[in-house]
Amino acid sequence: MSLLAVRNITKTYGSGRTQVTALEDVSFELDRGKLLAVLGPSGSGKTTLLSIVAGLLRPTAGEILIDDEPVHLHGSRAAAAFRREHVGIVFQDHHLVPYLSAAENLLLVPHFSGRITREDRERALALLAEFGLAERASHTPAELSGGERQRVAIARALMNSPEIMLVDEPTSNLDTERGKHVVDLLRSHIHGRDMTCIMVTHDARMAEAADDVLRIVDGRVAADLPA
Amino acid sequence: MLAIKELLGGKLKFGLIALAIGLVVALTMLMSAMSEGLITGMTGAKGSLAADALVFQGDTYLALERSVLSAEALEEVASAPGVASSYAVGHVIVSVDSSAEEFDARVFGLGDRFDQLPIVEGTTAAPGPGEAIIDITAKANGVEIGDTLHLTPADAELTVVAFTEHRRYVMAPAIYTDMATWERLYLASALGTMAEGEGVSATAMGEAAERITGGASIVAVDLAPGTTVESLQAELGGGFEVTTPEEAALAGNGMPVMILAVDGIQVVSLVIGALVIGVFFYITTLHKTGQIAAIKALGASNAYVYRQLLLQITILVTAAAGVGVALALGAGGSMPPTMAFDPQVGRWLVSLAAVYAMAYLGSLFSLRSILKIDPATALDHSGH
Ligand SMILES: Nc1ncnc2c1ncn2[C@@H]1O[C@H](COP(=O)(O)OP(=O)(O)O)[C@@H](O)[C@H]1O
Ligand SMILES: [Mg+2]
Repeated sequence: MSLLAVRNITKTYGSGRTQVTALEDVSFELDRGKLLAVLGPSGSGKTTLLSIVAGLLRPTAGEILIDDEPVHLHGSRAAAAFRREHVGIVFQDHHLVPYLSAAENLLLVPHFSGRITREDRERALALLAEFGLAERASHTPAELSGGERQRVAIARALMNSPEIMLVDEPTSNLDTERGKHVVDLLRSHIHGRDMTCIMVTHDARMAEAADDVLRIVDGRVAADLPA
Repeated sequence: MLAIKELLGGKLKFGLIALAIGLVVALTMLMSAMSEGLITGMTGAKGSLAADALVFQGDTYLALERSVLSAEALEEVASAPGVASSYAVGHVIVSVDSSAEEFDARVFGLGDRFDQLPIVEGTTAAPGPGEAIIDITAKANGVEIGDTLHLTPADAELTVVAFTEHRRYVMAPAIYTDMATWERLYLASALGTMAEGEGVSATAMGEAAERITGGASIVAVDLAPGTTVESLQAELGGGFEVTTPEEAALAGNGMPVMILAVDGIQVVSLVIGALVIGVFFYITTLHKTGQIAAIKALGASNAYVYRQLLLQITILVTAAAGVGVALALGAGGSMPPTMAFDPQVGRWLVSLAAVYAMAYLGSLFSLRSILKIDPATALDHSGH
């Protein structure tokens, strides 16, 4: 049984003459412990796909099952609660809170879902150490390099031990070497864990490090298109 | 947690805005103290007269300067039904030219009711003929206990036996004497002025003198139970004007206009304060829509985000209130005692409450934009 099932997702923005079809009949499944790269050029619908899986956008048609839960049926409150519990998101713009240290940015996650415990603090430091940031725990984002910021953002997305990790263009602001390093760290975290990860990228070299690659072009899965 | 960390992370930005709000608070406080000071300075001696009602001559618009009541009129008021007790109050404008600095003063003849004056220095005995109790602000003009004041145009002398306080009228210190002394001063100054006019006959002057002998400017009365200002007015008829000391104080000398102006400045400064806070936080909120979208996507509720904003506003306004009160007290402390500055804890608390209320009102701008921020936009790099 796969952890994530995306079935016949279609998403259109707007209506009438300004209507844009961002995704059309997209389907795939993803198993536990796997890192899937979604590869496609800019404007192909990658971010739209992540937003739908995250429950931040509702698909126009189709369904999303996470551990058999039909998340596309959630209202915005249920979606937010589901996200807090089961989903980790890494934004393309990292969106670290600028006046908080790296560790405090991680602790935002338990803060929003209740109280910060001692275990939370220990977990935050352990995750930062895993991503090579042990020495950077008390630095603010401005005091970190681009790669370090991206790794803090990944560590933050892992704070709630999500089943589904969604990562948008993690390497767009990094050179190839640093980008690959970030993807390797991400993959080794996922392997052997009861979770899965979708990483969106427009860079084929980054996709190489993933377990599977899903190509999308103009909102369609490329494998479904005639060659 | 976020709110306080953000304040600490932007000390300069938030410090400057707290200072700006602090200046607005200081302005509000100063205006409130000055309007209070203006009222006591302009009307203290009038409004503080111990009485249920003051009876003026008819059609004088509650002006002490114009009202004249003859001995018969005083008797008519004293014996009117509903009047429990009464005493005569005389008023006359003089100048004092004997002290280091010449100054205007208002002489009040005060029946036999000197016990109503708070004595801050000197004897507590009622002043005898030729003696005077004077408002403490005259000290700024060099007046001391035991001084002999020379008054013009009456060309009379008074000996200062005590100082009282909060007894000024039209910003001039009040000088309290017994009625006989007041009458002498009144006649001397009224007749002195008449004598200077050409073609005023000795008979006319004699008639004027006769009219005032045993009279007063107004009469202060205590009402018997069941009698009201209105019923006494009806009883006495159009020859008299009856009102409370408080209302008399606020009538005339442009007081309504002045109070309106000072209160208007207070209201305007409150509105400016609310706008400053409201716009500042609105702009900061707009400035960090991406960040707010992200923390919403991470699970923060609208209520959480708005609570953080309210916490920041509360901290900032509290800091600003501290700055503002300190500035207002500093400014007030460096004012000469004759300046109208009379801080009142109650009014300041009301003004501060108004500042908080306006600040929270201003935060509603931001609430609207917080509610509108879609967490989905956190993922959207292209800014759709
Ligand atoms: N909120 C939106 N409103 C209208 N059109 C949108 C919106 N978001 C994305 N689009 C359009 O949908 C298409 C896919 O966008 P997106 O998912 O952001 O692509 P990618 O992440 O692959 O660059 C693009 O044509 C984009 O212009
Ligand atoms: Mg994108």
